[in-house]
Amino acid sequence: MIATQRSVSGSSQSPRSPSSQPYLSVSVTDPVKLGNGVQAYISYRVITKTNLPEYQGPEKIVIRRYSDFVWLRDRLFEKYKGIFIPPLPEKSAVEKFRFSAEFIEMRRQALDIFVNRIASHHELQQSEDLRTFLQADEEDVQSKVSDVVLGKEKPVEESNPEYEKLKHYIFELENHLAEAQKHAYRLVKRHRELGQSLSDFGKAVKLLGACEGNSLGKAFSELGTKSETLSVKLQKEAHQLLMNFEEPLKDYVRAVQSIKATIAERANAFRRQCELAETTKLKEINLNKLTLMRSDKVGEAEIEYQELKAESEEATRMFEMIVRLMNEEIVRFQEQKTLDMGIAFHEFAKGQARLANGIANAWRSLIPKLEACSSSS
Amino acid sequence: MIATQRSVSGSSQSPRSPSSQPYLSVSVTDPVKLGNGVQAYISYRVITKTNLPEYQGPEKIVIRRYSDFVWLRDRLFEKYKGIFIPPLPEKSAVEKFRFSAEFIEMRRQALDIFVNRIASHHELQQSEDLRTFLQADEETMERLRSQETGIFKKKPADLMQIFKDVQSKVSDVVLGKEKPVEESNPEYEKLKHYIFELENHLAEAQKHAYRLVKRHRELGQSLSDFGKAVKLLGACEGNSLGKAFSELGTKSETLSVKLQKEAHQLLMNFEEPLKDYVRAVQSIKATIAERANAFRRQCELAETTKLKEINLNKLTLMRSDKVGEAEIEYQELKAESEEATRMFEMIVRLMNEEIVRFQEQKTLDMGIAFHEFAKGQARLANGIANAWRSLIPKLEACSSSS
Repeated sequence: MIATQRSVSGSSQSPRSPSSQPYLSVSVTDPVKLGNGVQAYISYRVITKTNLPEYQGPEKIVIRRYSDFVWLRDRLFEKYKGIFIPPLPEKSAVEKFRFSAEFIEMRRQALDIFVNRIASHHELQQSEDLRTFLQADEEDVQSKVSDVVLGKEKPVEESNPEYEKLKHYIFELENHLAEAQKHAYRLVKRHRELGQSLSDFGKAVKLLGACEGNSLGKAFSELGTKSETLSVKLQKEAHQLLMNFEEPLKDYVRAVQSIKATIAERANAFRRQCELAETTKLKEINLNKLTLMRSDKVGEAEIEYQELKAESEEATRMFEMIVRLMNEEIVRFQEQKTLDMGIAFHEFAKGQARLANGIANAWRSLIPKLEACSSSS
Repeated sequence: MIATQRSVSGSSQSPRSPSSQPYLSVSVTDPVKLGNGVQAYISYRVITKTNLPEYQGPEKIVIRRYSDFVWLRDRLFEKYKGIFIPPLPEKSAVEKFRFSAEFIEMRRQALDIFVNRIASHHELQQSEDLRTFLQADEETMERLRSQETGIFKKKPADLMQIFKDVQSKVSDVVLGKEKPVEESNPEYEKLKHYIFELENHLAEAQKHAYRLVKRHRELGQSLSDFGKAVKLLGACEGNSLGKAFSELGTKSETLSVKLQKEAHQLLMNFEEPLKDYVRAVQSIKATIAERANAFRRQCELAETTKLKEINLNKLTLMRSDKVGEAEIEYQELKAESEEATRMFEMIVRLMNEEIVRFQEQKTLDMGIAFHEFAKGQARLANGIANAWRSLIPKLEACSSSS
């Protein structure tokens, strides 16, 4: 699910030549566990290949850890209001699971997807913070946790029916997605449990076969061996389901949460715009009053009024920009999501069909062997 | 798994005509819940169709309950030592499960198999107790059922308790808690060892087969929950993606139903035969215990008789006036000893025949069970594969229209 690069460089010209296609390619690789005990963490190699002039050279490799990615995400979120910042995988994980090979690989993939989505977004890829993240020495990158203000203050809200529908859709979507993702996870678990059960069953039946000895014993053994084989198949498929289907669902959930954060930002911007507009109006009324009274405070008030007016106009511009960007982002999000989920469903149905077919063949291949055992008894 | 009848009557002659084939056919049907609360129980219709002269007429229907079957099993166990009495399904069950449709049907089937195995066993089918069971009116049956039955001082307890008693006797003998009088027969030792080992492995296999059934059900339930959740997602989305979600959800729910059905099939066609096999082995263990008892009795009586003989000779030499009395006692003891020897030898002979019969029947039954199992699994997997494959073009249609 790696978003496409701006363009792929296919020419053999020197990467610095201005006539070759511009490209920016990033990969997150080689997770390595560093540190000890509670302070242990994973570090990744982030390899940037590019011919963009803003970057230092054709290839740069830096070491980054999870909190560095969080820093980048927070900076982009601050600076590019209105744009849906690609989501990060969750921070917390059950302690003993945190360093399992599966978790580490899942996280590495998700981080790679994260950076590449930024690098292929026409606005975000120009970010200075991205350049810092991809190139700066390890000591210079600061980690920071930012809070998203959720508008707990005066409830000043837009009355825009289209936007209301969108918000409603996003919140409903989040709930349904979370449910679906929970059940997808359980489905994977059940596949595993069935596989384990088949394995135990196979072992027990094989012991029975060893005890019986004759043709019946042989039949027991065949049944047991087949069960164990199928158990392995089922366990493998559970893992595949996890990677190909449950992960995309989880990614979708995170994307929706990112959108909710942007919705909160828009609400903040709207509120700020309203407050400033009101304050400016009051200031204007006060200025007119002072002018009429020919007060000597007029000059001061005039300056304050102008400053406030500028702030107010700036807040309005900011809000309108967020609205505009958000509308573009909605379209982009819908398209990408439809594509991603379509692929995920396809893989899911194919995987299930393939597994079921394999199972059917395995059991069918057992039947003649069982008949051979019966007829020889 | 109904054992074949003696012979099936195919002629159109009157069933009473002596030249028509003898037949005895029994079925246990129509379970009905009677009584209230704690005293509620299930009663069954037992229909006997026969042309045997010992029976009253061509068809007889009686009402019986579980404890009547227990009475029959206990009587046969008493009278036909050496023969593997067909096993009964277990008495106890988790209270709330006791009247579930599935449990009632499983028990009815097992009781039907039980009676038919007796009716088709060349020795047991001649039992007077069988005839009583199949024909006596309900009041007579109730009276017999509540009587004490000889060595089983308790009321006809569940099979487990009886076998526990018998088993502890056997292990007492084996562990040397009583005088360790045991047959020293290598063939028989091998058989006993095989039976005890078999019981353990069977119990394990049956436990895991049960769990397998449970896991099928759980996977089915999970698929159903998943399907519902995905359908809700589809309703929320609305467009072609929503349609894809809905198709996926509906398919999942369909497959869930398939899985639950197959779980039930697995239960009836495979797990039950395994359970039945376990019970049969436990029945054999009871017979092993009986043989050990008979052997010990034979030895004790032989020894006591010998001592009596020595004493008699002593008294004869001494010309004691107690000789007459001693002679009588000696003769009585000798007769008892000979009877005990005959009894033991009969049990040995019967048991040898039974072992052969048991092995053949078991091989047949389990062969069928495996066949059904593999076929059922293949059928289920095939159905699932087809269902998912049929979904793929629908999903592609959704993607291309978006």
